[in-house]
Amino acid sequence: MKSLEDYLIANAKIHPDKIAISCGNRSITYGELAHMSLRRSEGIKEEIDSNANVIRASQSIEFLVEYFATHLCGKAAVPLEQDIPISDYEEIKRQVESATIPADVSDILYTTGTTGKRKGTMLSHDAIIADAENLIDAQGFSHDLNFIIAGPLNHIGSLSKIWPCIMIGATVTVLEGMKDMNLFFETVRNSSEKTATFLVPASIRMLLQFGRSQLESIKDKIDFIETGAAPISQSDMESLCALLPHTRLYNTYASTETGIICTHDYNSDICVAGCLGKVMKNSDLSIDEDGIISCGGRTLMSGYLGDEALTSEVIKDNRVYTQDVGRLDENGRLHLTGRKGDIINVGGFKINPVDVENVAKGYPGIIDCICIPDRHPVLGTAMRLLYESDRDINRKELGLYLMNNLERHKVPQFFSQVQRINRTYNGKLDRKSYLQV
Amino acid sequence: MKQHILTMLEDLLPMVDFDSDFLFAELDSLGVTSIMMTLSAEYGISLEACDATPKNFKTLDSIVEMVQTKMAEKR
Repeated sequence: MKSLEDYLIANAKIHPDKIAISCGNRSITYGELAHMSLRRSEGIKEEIDSNANVIRASQSIEFLVEYFATHLCGKAAVPLEQDIPISDYEEIKRQVESATIPADVSDILYTTGTTGKRKGTMLSHDAIIADAENLIDAQGFSHDLNFIIAGPLNHIGSLSKIWPCIMIGATVTVLEGMKDMNLFFETVRNSSEKTATFLVPASIRMLLQFGRSQLESIKDKIDFIETGAAPISQSDMESLCALLPHTRLYNTYASTETGIICTHDYNSDICVAGCLGKVMKNSDLSIDEDGIISCGGRTLMSGYLGDEALTSEVIKDNRVYTQDVGRLDENGRLHLTGRKGDIINVGGFKINPVDVENVAKGYPGIIDCICIPDRHPVLGTAMRLLYESDRDINRKELGLYLMNNLERHKVPQFFSQVQRINRTYNGKLDRKSYLQV
Repeated sequence: MKQHILTMLEDLLPMVDFDSDFLFAELDSLGVTSIMMTLSAEYGISLEACDATPKNFKTLDSIVEMVQTKMAEKR
């Protein structure tokens, strides 16, 4: 089978009444999902001339039907944040419609990832299949699994879990985030099948802080929990192991550009922060003398949409060169030790501070500003915007301005007015001086 | 107490409208968790996932009421 939809249709024939997707009070079976997707693909063919369908990725059955239907009519799906500003949406739509999209491209995921610059990362059907095979093989996705997705479906962390579930005929339950932790616990408790989920480290922190007893009460129903996208602390890993002694707990190394590369069960092997395990079956990984990680194999992206120059900076000799720094231990397990550049990882979103600063500088009264990483009790790392102004800035109004002009995850959590922003002798923002503080 | 909570929460989440009658809808998971952490630390109360309900987070008044209830339980 060559695409995810081949598996969807095969599963619809083998077990049409099996629940494919649950969301809120609605559930649809594999038979219904295949039927709705095929029917919608006819509509997309008539409505959309270009080779790609730009979709706001809501946490809904409708989004997933649109996603599969787009593939079924031979187009690439371009899922964007649900709350993306209209101007960004239109700009991406224009970019997608004017670019040449290779025929085998399945998805174009917009990310700041490896370079911090917003761009469309093209994934082929084969890369998606290879990612799904990696996860099934290494983490044990199975037909009798109910996988809970609470993260945004335009992000590879969540979207990539749809792939193995559909391939193997498992059930996916989509939640609207983790705001209602009780709903998460209820979903696990009421599931007739064993459950698994992907949680960013900030969500694990939340559950450990406020849901310890509920988590313990459902410990026998959770088959596995995967985390990734941002570093998880040693203490949270140890707490989770103690609370869920029989659950497989994976820490995964993946990115939109590389696909899903390594995973590590820290509840059965060593429990060490930063350890991301061994390379999966469809991937390979190497580390150069400077510690920079490069990846190869079937899961790699095809390139950046409409940007050959940037593609050739990142892909060389069929390998994706990341900005991540790491080492391999004596057992071949990857340990992540740092990251090159100025990118700030906030809850799994890799944010280029320049994007935020450029918008903030447009706010009346702001003379200069810099966006720096800061500690946060839930996220681990958050962003603080330091700004220089000759007047008192209303932080709420500044925050709303940023929200209206940036994706929500790029809006800093903290704001501080300062006397002066540090710059180097040649006028560049002196980021290092703030990191030292 | 209400004013003190408002000042703390506005400082914590400057973009949230704490005058809203639909506060829970305005918050994301990070907002809810940050509020719970701040209130737990400030008032020495124990808050759990089951307290993070739309009812308890509907308005600033309902947050204040939740804190007062937890403080009374503590006594």
